Amino acid sequence: MSGHVPRGAPATIPALQAALTAEDATIYGYGIVGAYLSGNSQATATNDWLAHQVARDRLEAMVRSLGAQPTAAAVAYQLPAPVHTAREAVSLAVLLEDRITTTYLGLVALSNASIRDFGAQQVQASALRAAAWRGGTVAFPGMTAAALAAPRRQS
Amino acid sequence: MAAKPTRRVVLAAAAILPLAAVSGCGGADVLATPPSPAADVVVLREAITAEQLMITHYTAVLHEAGAAGSLAAALDSLLAEHRAHLAQLRSRLVVPAGGPPAPRTRPSPTATVPATASGGVAFLRAAEQAAATAMLSRLRGAPASLAQLFASIGASEATHVPVLDAAAARIAP
Repeated sequence: MSGHVPRGAPATIPALQAALTAEDATIYGYGIVGAYLSGNSQATATNDWLAHQVARDRLEAMVRSLGAQPTAAAVAYQLPAPVHTAREAVSLAVLLEDRITTTYLGLVALSNASIRDFGAQQVQASALRAAAWRGGTVAFPGMTAAALAAPRRQS
Repeated sequence: MAAKPTRRVVLAAAAILPLAAVSGCGGADVLATPPSPAADVVVLREAITAEQLMITHYTAVLHEAGAAGSLAAALDSLLAEHRAHLAQLRSRLVVPAGGPPAPRTRPSPTATVPATASGGVAFLRAAEQAAATAMLSRLRGAPASLAQLFASIGASEATHVPVLDAAAARIAP
């Protein structure tokens, strides 16, 4: 019924494809971010854009090495919020990094040790970029409120 | 509802109970060789101890290295994140009622904290870097949701490094 799924990796390929799609959207978003910035912050946006391209290429290679076809990038992505000013561009950069941090935490949940390590390295890299754009740190980068909710007693 | 908290690991702290003794067989032998705690529990306790140590370091620098003003404010906010890490890690360690109490792992006494503010900040920077790296080393073999928490906390600690760098740059030489 379903297509060919390489043995031993039922959850791995969809998670990698999700990360790949998220990277494509982030790369697109950084193109917008950079267009509204200048000077040092534009240089930072360019560096971050390049870092996401490197990560994207690694994800694509991982998908291929597992025998699957990488999901192609879309021509355009809907921005989470309109961007007209430098301030809005910085907010978008924060949002892009926060989102991709959460996406990479999804790879950390996989059992494949090397993909888990890669995911954790990317969580760290995107958390660092998010903190730089935000101008501040957070206690739990990428974690959703639900994942941090107080444990419920079962009765 | 009962199926909901699946993201939360209910760690097998019960594994440290002498189960065979509870089931009533082989009492003496079992008591002679206490079973070791499950790997999850070991790694979680390690992470808890590491966070306690970070809190000890920050507290020492705040109180003993003469951190004041904007430096103290910056350190306070990083310390608050470590306290949040510790609380979240502790919430993942579920010890069943009647089980043995968690061993009181007291963080080993702080390595000598430098007496100057700049020395203190450099000391914390090195500690954050080491803590972030150590957190990554705990991922392998951890249950998925605990691995995610470790990765997130390690990333948070990594983001503290540039904050401390900026703080160091503001301290007059």
